[in-house]
Amino acid sequence: MKRDPIYGIMAEFDTPTALLEAARRTYQAGYKKIDAYSPFPIEGLAEEIGFEHNAVALVVLICGIIGACTGYLLQYWCDAVTYPLNIGGRPYNSWPSFIVITFELTILFGGISALLGMLALNGLPMPYHPVFNVPRFSSASKDRFFLIVFSSDKQYDASATRRFLEGLQPRSISEVPS
Amino acid sequence: MSAARANHLDLSPPPIVKKMSQRSLAVGILFGLGAVALAFLRPEEFYRGYLLGFMCWLGVALGSMAILMIRHLTGGGWGTIIRRILGAAMRTLPLLAILFIPVILGIHHLYIWAQPLNNIENKHLREHLEQITRSYLTTNGFVMRAIIYFAIWNVCSFLLSKWSAQTDDASAPNNSQRFKAVAGPGLILYAFTISFAAIDWIMSLDPSWISTIFGLIILIGEILSAMCFAVVVERILFNYKPMSELLRPDFVHDHGKWMLAFVMVWAYFSFSQWLIIWAGNLPSEISFYLKRLSGGWGWIGLSLVLFHFAVPFAILLSRPFKRNIRKLVWVAVWLILMRYVDLFWIIEPNFSKTISLTVADVVVPVAIGGIWLWYFFRNLAALPLVPAYDQDAHEVLQPEHAGHAG
Repeated sequence: MKRDPIYGIMAEFDTPTALLEAARRTYQAGYKKIDAYSPFPIEGLAEEIGFEHNAVALVVLICGIIGACTGYLLQYWCDAVTYPLNIGGRPYNSWPSFIVITFELTILFGGISALLGMLALNGLPMPYHPVFNVPRFSSASKDRFFLIVFSSDKQYDASATRRFLEGLQPRSISEVPS
Repeated sequence: MSAARANHLDLSPPPIVKKMSQRSLAVGILFGLGAVALAFLRPEEFYRGYLLGFMCWLGVALGSMAILMIRHLTGGGWGTIIRRILGAAMRTLPLLAILFIPVILGIHHLYIWAQPLNNIENKHLREHLEQITRSYLTTNGFVMRAIIYFAIWNVCSFLLSKWSAQTDDASAPNNSQRFKAVAGPGLILYAFTISFAAIDWIMSLDPSWISTIFGLIILIGEILSAMCFAVVVERILFNYKPMSELLRPDFVHDHGKWMLAFVMVWAYFSFSQWLIIWAGNLPSEISFYLKRLSGGWGWIGLSLVLFHFAVPFAILLSRPFKRNIRKLVWVAVWLILMRYVDLFWIIEPNFSKTISLTVADVVVPVAIGGIWLWYFFRNLAALPLVPAYDQDAHEVLQPEHAGHAG
């Protein structure tokens, strides 16, 4: 795939409120491939840029269930199939005593899959990202709030999009080279 | 800043609170008459139902006090939005102290250790009882300890309420440190007193049975029922100003998370008790589950696993569900009902080998509930729904990310 020389257009805002408002208006204007950057989590921002849900929860659920089955079957196989021991006259398949390990493996599988699933789905670790080509972007981890419209968006047009973002009264606008 | 917002938003409770108070009183009187009739006609059944109902509603009051204390220590908008609901429930403790008197009057009907020991046929049980009724389980000790529990709870409740009421006007002192000074030791005292109370009032129904985690099961059940109760009241208030303006999905989300956490802790404690007793298989411990898994009681036990844990747990995992007060309230109502079933399953098998639900088991808890709710809504109507001049009021009264009207 040929790489677009321009990654997108980025607007800089002073306050979280301004960013929320800008994100809302940009999304309503029909731009769907947008993203926002802020020094701290802003409640409601994810919804404004059209983020609904991710697949991490599903990955964790599936891996948790696999962990539960692994934990139970491991003990069942050991204590009831390959090496059955009579402990105090209890049945070989003593489910109450299997629950603890079953629970632990559910958590273990779920926890590891949450980490790996998150990394796999968000593409980290990422040594290079185009947004850092904009020098002003370093303040996104301090006190500035950024909104970007990606050049891959259907409605993206270098001059029209820039004009639209200017209408949102940002502090500055920068073109992001990829 | 909060004052500015408070000035154009009336924080006083809506008229529905008064109306609910009257309705509750009507239900309380109606069922109360039935309960009084039962007390004369079938005293045995009446006192069992009374203990069950008393523990249910005591749980809501004490659990509210515990959650309120947690809020004073941690802060957070989730707690500020419901602190007056929790406070109103906590301030029913004087009423509950009075409502405890029938338990003392019925002590000979309820507790085998309070009856003449010569009538007991089982020799081992008689010898065991002769021993413990000399030291711990005496009628005087039972009453004295109850007085101590209620005194501690009421002192905590009185102080927290008094300082909270000061923060409704502009000359309010900063009471944050005072709240913390009571809440920290108060939570520790609550854990100890409720453990002893659970031993005295419930575990001693079967004096030969012991379980060291039992107090904690009762404790977490109380906190769970209080959180669910606060969600139900918050849902009623959400139909009216000011709650309709103040209640944000974030707060509801937090309440849902608490419910999920408490459901899990309840399951964790209950399963721990079952696992330890099942694995130990000792005569003095396993009798608890033998009684509760035979004669049809096992079905109730199974329903607790499914409907007190598995189903609410699965539903509460959903994020959109927890953020929607109109949906969350149904799980809250359901869990309050399951708290009743859990206490029913703990108390009643002591008296009946086979499964049985008497009229008193339903009528008396409803009667106590009616009177309790009357008093609760009366308390709720007495103060504004949010203390406008408290140090933490801005968490609720000020919109998030100042200026962004959400």
